Amino acid sequence: MLQANDIHFCIRNMPIVDKANVSLAPGELTVILGPNGAGKSTLFKVLAGEIPCKYGKVDYNGSPINGFSAKNLALVRAVMPQHSSLSFPFKAMEVVELGLLSGGDSYRQDLLEEVMSETQTWHLKDQLYGNLSGGEKQRVQLARVLTQIWDKKPYPRYLLLDEPTSSMDIALQHHVLRIIHKIKKRNIGVLAILHDLNLAANYADKVILLKKGRILHQGPVKEVMCASNLEEVFEHPIQVFSGSEDSPMIIQSIPFIQNHLEIKLA
Amino acid sequence: MGLALAMMSLLSLSLGAFQIPLYNVLGILLDSIGLELTEFSQQQSNVLLHIRLPRILMAILVGGGLGITGAALQGLFRNPLVEPGLIGVSSGGALFAVIFIVFGSTLPFLSYFGGIGLPLFAFLGGLINTLLVYKMGSWAGKTDISLLILAGVALNALSGALIGLVIFYADDAALRNFTFWSLGDVGGANWSKVGVSFLLISGPVLLVMSQFKNLNALSIGENEAFHMGVDVQKVKYILLFSSALIVGTAVSFTGTIGFVGLIVPHLIRMMFGADHRLVLPGSFLFGATLLTFADLLGRTIVMPSEMPIGIITAIIGAPFFIWLIINVKKIRS
Repeated sequence: MLQANDIHFCIRNMPIVDKANVSLAPGELTVILGPNGAGKSTLFKVLAGEIPCKYGKVDYNGSPINGFSAKNLALVRAVMPQHSSLSFPFKAMEVVELGLLSGGDSYRQDLLEEVMSETQTWHLKDQLYGNLSGGEKQRVQLARVLTQIWDKKPYPRYLLLDEPTSSMDIALQHHVLRIIHKIKKRNIGVLAILHDLNLAANYADKVILLKKGRILHQGPVKEVMCASNLEEVFEHPIQVFSGSEDSPMIIQSIPFIQNHLEIKLA
Repeated sequence: MGLALAMMSLLSLSLGAFQIPLYNVLGILLDSIGLELTEFSQQQSNVLLHIRLPRILMAILVGGGLGITGAALQGLFRNPLVEPGLIGVSSGGALFAVIFIVFGSTLPFLSYFGGIGLPLFAFLGGLINTLLVYKMGSWAGKTDISLLILAGVALNALSGALIGLVIFYADDAALRNFTFWSLGDVGGANWSKVGVSFLLISGPVLLVMSQFKNLNALSIGENEAFHMGVDVQKVKYILLFSSALIVGTAVSFTGTIGFVGLIVPHLIRMMFGADHRLVLPGSFLFGATLLTFADLLGRTIVMPSEMPIGIITAIIGAPFFIWLIINVKKIRS
């Protein structure tokens, strides 16, 4: 279990994250949703151990995060930040290979080929990372963090993803969420920040709605993602068509300029 | 790469104001390990073993050291324009070396260290400047390259001024010592200097090479490296400390030799890619080859006089630096 209690993070006395409680169970996908500047990335960085939190505590599998060395932490969780730029001309394959660092393996062709085929990056392996498109770069980075936790382990692990699909086309977005769906069966809990409400609604197990640093609602998708909650968080009219066994849940934000809306306003 | 270095060394052993044919070079070298194959004169043997060989070994140690330090610092600061001279490591080493040379005879405690005192003192200066530049150049745990280079410029200026001040107070004998040192050359090498350099340079070089995986991880970013299990702070201090020791030692024996640390890692990356597994040892070997070559040029083009090696590397290096700046601009636009 990844457990965070009373996370509080201030910059110049302005709370960015305010008394947040988050728990992530292995085998579960939890999605953080919220408008820009809600504190999603800050909360994410505190959970990842990237910024130390002065108030509140973060536990991985029952042990406080402060007690982990960088190396041991890397064995229980992998992190994909929003943007990564490379300072030198590495090939895509060399970037993915870095994921093996924490495990102490220097090179494993079979594992790399498996992960890169899964993320549809195997054909890019000999290309320079800097020459790839935005979506391809994201897939390579995803392959890198998946490599870090690919081998099965007896203890629960966690995968933290900050907007992993932001530069991808529709098909690839769904492809990535399918990979996440598969990987969580390896006793891995996945926490992702997403902007697409429909992806969240149809793939997540739990949802956290964040606004101005506070968690307003969290829980199972069906309970939390109702129109009133979403409108409260995003301050925009939203319609929710709750799906059924054989049809997906659809969430629609309502455009300002549309005939029926103008008629309604008039 | 190793072969190129071996050939360059042999060539360099053979050529010079006093020519020794290649087969005699091999003969003398083999003779010194107990194999008598060819005839050679005692004079040839003396020139080779007591003048030329230590000099070339010094060029190899210093050139290799500067090359690998450049590669390590570029990797650490995630920027291909970083170089030991640019960020003040060399000038800090030079300042402390000058202090040691000028005041070495008047301050008795300095003489306790013997032959190792000068390089250790230069190391201290290099380390102080490196840490200062690093502190000034980083902000909220991240290194900002423009701050870093500005800090380097400031510390270079300050070190230069302080060197001037020290020289102002130097007496005649100290001044002569300083002049000899500042001509900056591998020409003054003898076996004891080579021994001390080997002692102080080989350790940190191996230490830097062992960090290749961590340097690869750092290329994606400090946070990313941390997420992958790298103890970023520890790696930083290992690399900064090793770099200061290598450059400090090099500066104390041969003066400041510029641009080797800048050019060498670049050319290696162009040839073999960015993986530090190859970049680090490659930069050592190529840096050693380049400096041996520069020394050979310096000894031969104005025979029987010698041109300081720093001039040669700057003549090759400065245009390369300009080319690099223009290319960086092209890539960004």
